Amino acid sequence: MSATSPIADLTYRDYDGPMNSADHRWWAIAKMMMRMAIARKGFWACALLSGWFYVVMMVVFYFVDVAQSSVGPAQINYFKTVNWKDQFVTGMSTAQLFLFIVALIIGIGTIANDNRANALLIYLSKPCTKLDYLIGKWVGIFIPIYCVALVPGLVFWAYIAMSFREYGSVSSAPWVPLQLFVISLFPACILASLCVGVSSLFNQGRTAGFTLFGIYFIANIFTKMMQGMHFVAPDNRFITDLFYSSIDGLSFGLSKLAMFTDGSLPMVQKAQAGAEIGRPDAWFMFPAFIAVCALSVWIAWIRIRPVEVVG
Amino acid sequence: MNVAEIHGLTVRYGAFTALNNLSVSIPEGCIGLLGPNGAGKTTLLKTILGFVDPAAGGGKVLGFDIATQGKQIRQQIGLMPEQDCHIPGMTAVTFVAYAGELAGMPKEHALRRAHEVLEYCGLGEARYRNVETYSTGMKQRIKFAQALVHGPKLLLLDEPTNGLDPRGRDEMLDLVRSVSHGKGVNVIVSSHLLPDIERTCDEVVLVMNGQLRASGLISELKKIEGHPYDVELREPCPGFADIAVKNGGELLDSRSNTYRIIAPGVREDAVKFLLKCANEAKVQVRGLIPAERSLEDVFLNAISDKPTFDIPGAEK
Amino acid sequence: MIVLEGVSRWYGQVIGVNDVSCMLKPGLVALLGQNGAGKTTLLRMITGQLRPTTGRLTVFGEEPFANPNVLKRIGYCPDVDNFYENSTGRAFIQFLAELGGMPKKLARERTEEMLQVVGMSHAADRRIAGYSKGMRQRIKLAQAMIHNPDVIVLDEPLNGLDPVGRHEYIAMLHSLANEGRLIVVSSHILYEVETMTKSLLLLHRGRLLAEGDLRVIRSLIDQHPHRVRVEGPVPRAIAQATLGLPNVLSLDLREQEGYVEIEVTEPEMFYRELSEMVLSGKVELTGFSSPDNNLESVFRYLVTT
Repeated sequence: MSATSPIADLTYRDYDGPMNSADHRWWAIAKMMMRMAIARKGFWACALLSGWFYVVMMVVFYFVDVAQSSVGPAQINYFKTVNWKDQFVTGMSTAQLFLFIVALIIGIGTIANDNRANALLIYLSKPCTKLDYLIGKWVGIFIPIYCVALVPGLVFWAYIAMSFREYGSVSSAPWVPLQLFVISLFPACILASLCVGVSSLFNQGRTAGFTLFGIYFIANIFTKMMQGMHFVAPDNRFITDLFYSSIDGLSFGLSKLAMFTDGSLPMVQKAQAGAEIGRPDAWFMFPAFIAVCALSVWIAWIRIRPVEVVG
Repeated sequence: MNVAEIHGLTVRYGAFTALNNLSVSIPEGCIGLLGPNGAGKTTLLKTILGFVDPAAGGGKVLGFDIATQGKQIRQQIGLMPEQDCHIPGMTAVTFVAYAGELAGMPKEHALRRAHEVLEYCGLGEARYRNVETYSTGMKQRIKFAQALVHGPKLLLLDEPTNGLDPRGRDEMLDLVRSVSHGKGVNVIVSSHLLPDIERTCDEVVLVMNGQLRASGLISELKKIEGHPYDVELREPCPGFADIAVKNGGELLDSRSNTYRIIAPGVREDAVKFLLKCANEAKVQVRGLIPAERSLEDVFLNAISDKPTFDIPGAEK
Repeated sequence: MIVLEGVSRWYGQVIGVNDVSCMLKPGLVALLGQNGAGKTTLLRMITGQLRPTTGRLTVFGEEPFANPNVLKRIGYCPDVDNFYENSTGRAFIQFLAELGGMPKKLARERTEEMLQVVGMSHAADRRIAGYSKGMRQRIKLAQAMIHNPDVIVLDEPLNGLDPVGRHEYIAMLHSLANEGRLIVVSSHILYEVETMTKSLLLLHRGRLLAEGDLRVIRSLIDQHPHRVRVEGPVPRAIAQATLGLPNVLSLDLREQEGYVEIEVTEPEMFYRELSEMVLSGKVELTGFSSPDNNLESVFRYLVTT
C-alpha cells in the first residue's frame, strides 16, 4: 500500500530482501533432500523398524529383570553373562537391511529422476556448481541414514546405562557412545555414495533402485557362500575378510573393528560362540570401504560433468 | 550503465575458437540476442552467465567479473533455459520456492515470493499441482517464474516461446514485455524467431563467427534511406508505379500489389502525393505505411557475405 | 491423395479428433491449431499409427493403418526427438532406409544424396548425441524423404532452426511440393506458415474449424468487421473526422501511441472516403494499414469466438 493510494499495486515488484551468500549452496540442496525424505511415511516406518533388535532386547532385559527381582537370582545372574558391547554390533548388523531400504526410499531415485527431468539445468542456472550438486545430494542422503543408524543405539545405551550399571553395562564398555557415533558413519557413507553413484547412471529411479538392489542381493549371496566355506576352513583369513564384502558386510565388519570386538550371537553362552565369525582385517576393510565410496562418487561426478546449461 | 561489458574476449574449446576477440556492451532494457547456430551466440550466453574460461580478454556482468565471480553473477541473473527442465516430484510452488532457496533466499521469503511470482505469471490454483502434470504452456511459465523468483537484475530468456501455440506465445511475449518495460528488470532474449524479438525488445545484438556483427536499436536498424512508403493496392497496377515515377517519385521494389516508393519533396507531402497518384491511376489504396525492413531481412543481410545494404552500428 | 470422411478418434472419454471431413491434394498444406486441438492425432492417423474410431480415412485410396503399400509412400518427420543417440547421422538414415526395404547399395547412395540436399554432409559422421536441434531437424527430414514418398508429413519441423536454416528448409519444401507431392506441415509459428503456403487446415478442440485458402477464409469472415489502423500527428482529429462516416462501427483512440483503430463494415467504401478526406485536406495522416490481414489475426479470431 503506498502512502497516497488506498489501492495496492500487486503487480510484479523487485525482491530486495535478505540473500545468503552465493557459496555453500550445497547445503540448500541437502536441506531440500532431507525435507523430502522426512515427508515420506516409508522413511519413518523403516527408521522405527531398524531398531527392532534394540527394542526386543530392551523388552527381554526388562522382563528378565522383573522376573529375577521377584523370583530371586538364579544360579547365574543373566545379566552377568551379557556382553554389553556386542549388543551394539548386533544391533548395527540387524539394522542394515532397514538402512538399505531407507536408502532405496530416499536416495536411489534422486539423481536418476533429475536426469530425466533435466533438473541440473535449473541448479546450474543458480549459483550452484556441479560440485555443490553432488555434495548436496550426498549429504542429503548421508544425514538421514546416519541419524537412523545412530539414534536407536543411543537410546538403547541410555537404557542399559541407567538400568544395568551394576552389571558393568557402562564400565565394561565405557567408550560405547563415542563408538556409536563412529560406526553409524559407515553405513551412511557407503549407502550415500552408492546411491549417488548408481542413481547417476540411469534415467529412472526405479531402474537405479533395481540395480542397487541387485548389487546388494548378489553380494549377500556371495558372503553367504563365504560363510559356508568358513565352516570348512575357519582359520583362513581371506575367507573371513571376504565374508564381510557386501554392502551389509562392510558396515558390519567395520563396526566390529571400531568397537574392538569379534562380535557374539545374542543370548548365547560363550561356549557356543564359535558360530560367530571373527572380526576382519583392518587393512582389508578400510581400503575396501574407501574404494567403494570413492568409486561411486567418482562415477556420479563423471556422469554429471558434461551437462551444459545452454546448449 | 551497461548490464554487461565484454572486451577482447576469446574463448576456445580445444582447437575450436568459439569467440574471437569479442567486444560488446549490452545496455539496460530489453535486448535481443541474435545469431546463426553455432556462431558464438551460445558461448556468449554462457559467458554472460559466468561459465567460461577466457583464453584472452574478459569482462563484467552486473559489475562482477565473468572469469572469477561466476556464482555471484548467477545469483543476480535469472535464466529461463530453452530445454524442458524442472525438479521432479514437486508442486509448482515448492519448485519455484526451491529455486529461490538455491539462489540464496531464506526459506520463508522464498515461499512467499514464489506465490507472488506465480500469481504474476498467471498460475492460479494449478500451482499446487505436480509440475509433471503441466501442459507445455504452463511449463514455460514455471520456467519463467523460477527465473524471476529471486528478483534478478537481469533475465536471460532462451527461446521463451519454444513449443507454445499461438495463444501461449502471445501470453508469454506479453509477460516478457511487461516485466521488461516498467518493472526495471533488464532482459536479454535469445531467439531465432525474429518477430518475437521485435515484439519484446528495443535493441538487438547480433553475433556471428565469434564476433559482434551488428548492434543497435531495432527501429534504427529497420530504417530504409529516403523514407520510402509501402503502398498496398487492392489489385496489382503497374500504371500506378509509372505515374508515381513520372511525377518525380522513385520505385524501389514491387511485389504483386504492393509498391515501395520514395515520394519527392518533403515527407509531410508524401501521403498526399501517393494518394493522388493512386487516384489518377484509378486504383484504390488499401494500405500506406512507412516502409521498414523486417528484422529478418536485417539479420539475413548482416550475416551474408554480400550485404545488399549498410547496417548502422555494424562492425566493418 | 488423402481423403477423410467423418473421421473421429477418441481415447476413452477424451476426444482427439471429432468428425473431420476433408480432401488433401498435392501441394503444401499447413495444419494449424492450439495445443491439444487434435493435430498430432490427425497426423498419427494419416501416417498409419492409429485407426480412426469412426469414419474413414484413406491415403491413395487405401487405409494407411499397418498397410505397407501406403506406408512406403509416406514420409514422416515427427516432432519428438527419438534417435539412437550413439549412432552417426549417416548410419541412422541408412538404417532407416534399409528398414523400409531399400537394398543396401541403393540405401547408401540415397543417404549421400539426402545428406547433400539437407546440408548435413559435413557432420554426418558425428554422433547424433552431439547434434544441435537444427541438425536433428535436418536428419529427420532426410529420413522422411529418402524413399521418395508422395506424401510427407512434418510435425513442427522448423523448431530450432536459425532464420537462414528456416529459409532453406522452406525452399526445400516448396521444391518438393512443386514436384507433385503432398506436404503436410504442422506448425505453431504462424508468420512462417504464412510465407510457406496459403492452404490451411485449422483444427480447434478436435473439430475442423476452417479449410482452404487463407485469403478466401479471410474474406468470408464478414461478421468480423475490418479493422484499419490510421496513424497521424493528431489522432483525435482523425477520429473526429472519420466518426461521421456511416460504415464506421467503432473507434479505438490511442493518443499516446499515435493512432486510431477503426472498425468498418464496408472496407471498399471506407478506403475511398479516407483517400478523399486526405486529398481534400480534411484529415492529416502519416499512414494506414489493416492489421487484420495476416494469418495470426485470422487464427486468433477463429479460435477465440
